[in-house]
Amino acid sequence: MKAFAIGMTLAASVALTGPAMAFEPTRPVEFVVASGPGGGTDNFARTIQSIITKHKLMDQSMVVLNKGGGSGAEAFLYARKNEGDPNKLYFGTNNAYLLPHVAKLAYSMEDLRPVSALAFDEFLIWVKGDSEYTTPAALIDAAKATPNGVAFAGSQSKDTDETLVALIEQTTGTKFKYLPFNGGGEVGVQLAGGHVAANVNNPNENIGQWQAGAVKPLCVFSDKPMAKSDPVHDGKGWGDIPTCSSAGINIPSYKMPRTVWTAAGTPDEAVTYYSEVLKKVSETPEWAEYIRKTSQTGEYMAGQALQDFIVSSEKNAVGVFEAEGWLVK
Amino acid sequence: MRIKRLHVEIATALTLAAVGALGSTGALELGVSWSESGPMPGYFPFYVGIILIIAATASMAQALFRMRMGSAEMRETFLEPEQTRRVLSFLLPMVVFVIITTFLGTYVGTTLYLFYVAWRNGGYKPLIALLVGIAFSIALYFVFEKAFQVPLHKGPIEEMLGIY
Amino acid sequence: MENFELLLGGFGTALTPMHIMVMIVGVLLGLIVGVLPGLGAPNGVSLLIPLTFTMDPVSAIILLASMYWGALFGGSTTSILFNIPGEPSSVATTFDGYPMARSGQSTRALTLAFMSAGLGAFVGIVVITVLSSWAARFALRFGAAEYFAVYFLAFCAFIGMGSASPIKTAVSLSLGLLLSTVGMDTVTGSLRLTFGIEALLSGVSFLVVVIGLFGIGELLATVQDGLKFRGVASRIDPRDVFKTMLELPRYATTLLRSSAVGVWMGITPGGPTAASFMSYGLARQWSKPGEKFGTGRPEGIVAPETADHSAGTCAMLPMLALGVPSSATAAVMMGGLMIWGLTPGPMLFSTQPDFVWGLIASMYIANIVAVVLVLATVPFFAALLRIPFTIIGPMIVAICFVGAYTVANSTSDLWLVLIFGVVGFVFNKLEFPLAPLVLAMVLGGKAESSFHQSMIASDGSLGIFFSNYLVGTIMVLALGLLIIPQSLKFIQYLKSHKNADSAA
Repeated sequence: MKAFAIGMTLAASVALTGPAMAFEPTRPVEFVVASGPGGGTDNFARTIQSIITKHKLMDQSMVVLNKGGGSGAEAFLYARKNEGDPNKLYFGTNNAYLLPHVAKLAYSMEDLRPVSALAFDEFLIWVKGDSEYTTPAALIDAAKATPNGVAFAGSQSKDTDETLVALIEQTTGTKFKYLPFNGGGEVGVQLAGGHVAANVNNPNENIGQWQAGAVKPLCVFSDKPMAKSDPVHDGKGWGDIPTCSSAGINIPSYKMPRTVWTAAGTPDEAVTYYSEVLKKVSETPEWAEYIRKTSQTGEYMAGQALQDFIVSSEKNAVGVFEAEGWLVK
Repeated sequence: MRIKRLHVEIATALTLAAVGALGSTGALELGVSWSESGPMPGYFPFYVGIILIIAATASMAQALFRMRMGSAEMRETFLEPEQTRRVLSFLLPMVVFVIITTFLGTYVGTTLYLFYVAWRNGGYKPLIALLVGIAFSIALYFVFEKAFQVPLHKGPIEEMLGIY
Repeated sequence: MENFELLLGGFGTALTPMHIMVMIVGVLLGLIVGVLPGLGAPNGVSLLIPLTFTMDPVSAIILLASMYWGALFGGSTTSILFNIPGEPSSVATTFDGYPMARSGQSTRALTLAFMSAGLGAFVGIVVITVLSSWAARFALRFGAAEYFAVYFLAFCAFIGMGSASPIKTAVSLSLGLLLSTVGMDTVTGSLRLTFGIEALLSGVSFLVVVIGLFGIGELLATVQDGLKFRGVASRIDPRDVFKTMLELPRYATTLLRSSAVGVWMGITPGGPTAASFMSYGLARQWSKPGEKFGTGRPEGIVAPETADHSAGTCAMLPMLALGVPSSATAAVMMGGLMIWGLTPGPMLFSTQPDFVWGLIASMYIANIVAVVLVLATVPFFAALLRIPFTIIGPMIVAICFVGAYTVANSTSDLWLVLIFGVVGFVFNKLEFPLAPLVLAMVLGGKAESSFHQSMIASDGSLGIFFSNYLVGTIMVLALGLLIIPQSLKFIQYLKSHKNADSAA
């Protein structure tokens, strides 16, 4: 509940003081989701859909469209084609502004307008439950001893997971082996089965395995420890995990925002309208419940605060891409 | 000239070889060698493309060889004139259907297509044929858009009528 | 024995009038989405998820799972009657199901499919009941190399001995593999063979290709001989249903073998589609001599259907116990699970026994419900074939195109259907086999990714495929399935030649 309270105060500080709502959607609103059915972004969008329906926050109905092709690029290309259409919302993560840097795609950030960010997913270093590495430092030392010998599994290639692993390498001067799989669940099982040494999964991707003691967290990439929770395994809960920066990996914070966008050219009133609706969503008890169950950090962001966040997040990632030679010209 | 099976065998093989060549050349720019972390992204499509070219060429050679050996099968007519007419009478409306659907949306396309086939090929009265088309389109609308909330492709006419 | 007590408890949860109603509704909805190509089980299940927010998790999962079973059954119906697979996993059912229906025995074909599907599902559920904890631990042993070995095994089992010319099989296979590489590559994150075309970004959809090759291709082949269906059943007799049921014990070996294949592919990452292909391939190799496969042979229907359903049910196990969905539908259900506040993982079985065992018990009942309901629809669907072709033909065409559109909401897929329709027609006439193409599209991408992952893990050494007993055994088995039938065929060929020589 504490995370939620922080989210509330932050939301209040970026209060949107728009005029009386002039905009109303004129037809069913399309929720375009940059992932396949069942993915993290899909659950994010469908949870919002159900909350809006339940609390009647919008008069029009909503239709969810999954466009997960090309790691989600399909959804944003669709935005480019529907420039100025105020009846379509796009759901993604930081992939919206990072994809064009690593793949040759026919869209750029100019084709999208940010509406809100509603939650931030944490990243942790996980190792197998009976692993010899009990601290992040031990893992780093092992990688220093045998460069390219310690394997990390992650979802997709050149996506958030591999970027974080590359960031760890750059910060600590080590070299890991990175094995890309299809999704967080698969990555969790690869670790539980002992096929890799570690992964950087989000909390809800590994919680099941942690409950069983098949994997254990070493540290979280956040400036402060996560919200306290009931113990998950062996008397330890989310709040007991040390931050990575305190454990010797100097990465103060690495989070993935859950974002909502409209296409470029959408009128200001429409953007304001949707960010108001989403703000109300973020204040419902159902949303708090979703945040708690998925162990994310609830934090509502819109307007200038969101713009600033995107600019700095993009800059950091591009720095990593450049050092790894992933940038496409 | 009568189109023999041999001709179609050769044309198909050449088309497939061209597809293989397209794949292989497309893969070239991705890198087709074996790096220290296993195959590069173009490796697999490149060699599959090459195999396709070889296999297609072999199938053409086999057809020519069997022709040389006097195989009756290769001399057979691919499609009798009557069959060609029937296939085209079915295929061409389908092509027009796809074009109309692309520009005017699924419902207009489907209605016109069902109407045309029932009227011209089926010999039904135009009015009945049109009713079949309209009834089916309405059924599609209710099953897909209403019951399962799957939006189908729409065009300017639906826009005018205010159907989303 | 502890599991049986838990199961009895589960039946207590599942056998309430409310839950039986939920099952019937779920199965009926599933039948509808299964029959319509394009509206698949993943669509249907994700649509129902918002409705389940207000239900308790047990009723919710029973609804979703029942819909999944219904969709699996519905998918076979159109495969058999119109050669249009309603679900990817029912592609292999078209190979013999459609020819049997075309020879006037549509009722028999449908009954065979549904009964063997029901039996396959039953075996799958029994395995889940008895072996749940063991199977979940076993699945943990699958790393990248083992994944590859399983896909390779499915390939070899299916390709081993086909009746088509080897050259044409190679053409078909490599075309399928090439198509499977289009789009974004998971392992390297690079876009491949898209040639700057946006529509190709998410790859060439397997479903779109199948709708074209089988649905449109078959209709074109039908009309060349006149605007009517070939060989429609002259009568629909409910007694045929019972006669066919009595026929089933004859295929006991096929049923057992196919269930085993399904269970194996469901627990390992193969999935139902690969299971049905593999099972069909094995049935073709090991069945007693008789009429040729592909001409309406009963084993050709029994084998893929049994394996499809036993794999479909077993696939629930890795989803629940490990959080790894082995099919798109399972992925959506897992999303639902998380929204309801349940965490899939090894502990789900001990922390939520009511949920897990209620679900497992409901699987027994829902599959019986599904078999009964689907058999009741047989006369209805068989009667569809009696509608004049110039009415029903274009309707099928329209549904094919609508279905292809809904896969990715893209009009360019309509052109792909048209192109592959013509390809299917020409390939059929020239005797290029279509099955290897489809199999390559299903498994090609996955096999390539896991191969590549293994190579990264082993620093480029092929030795990883023989590095432990598990992967080594699967690889040897696969190579055996590839080589032995071919050599047997070759030896037989030599023998018959010798005899011919000595006789001369």
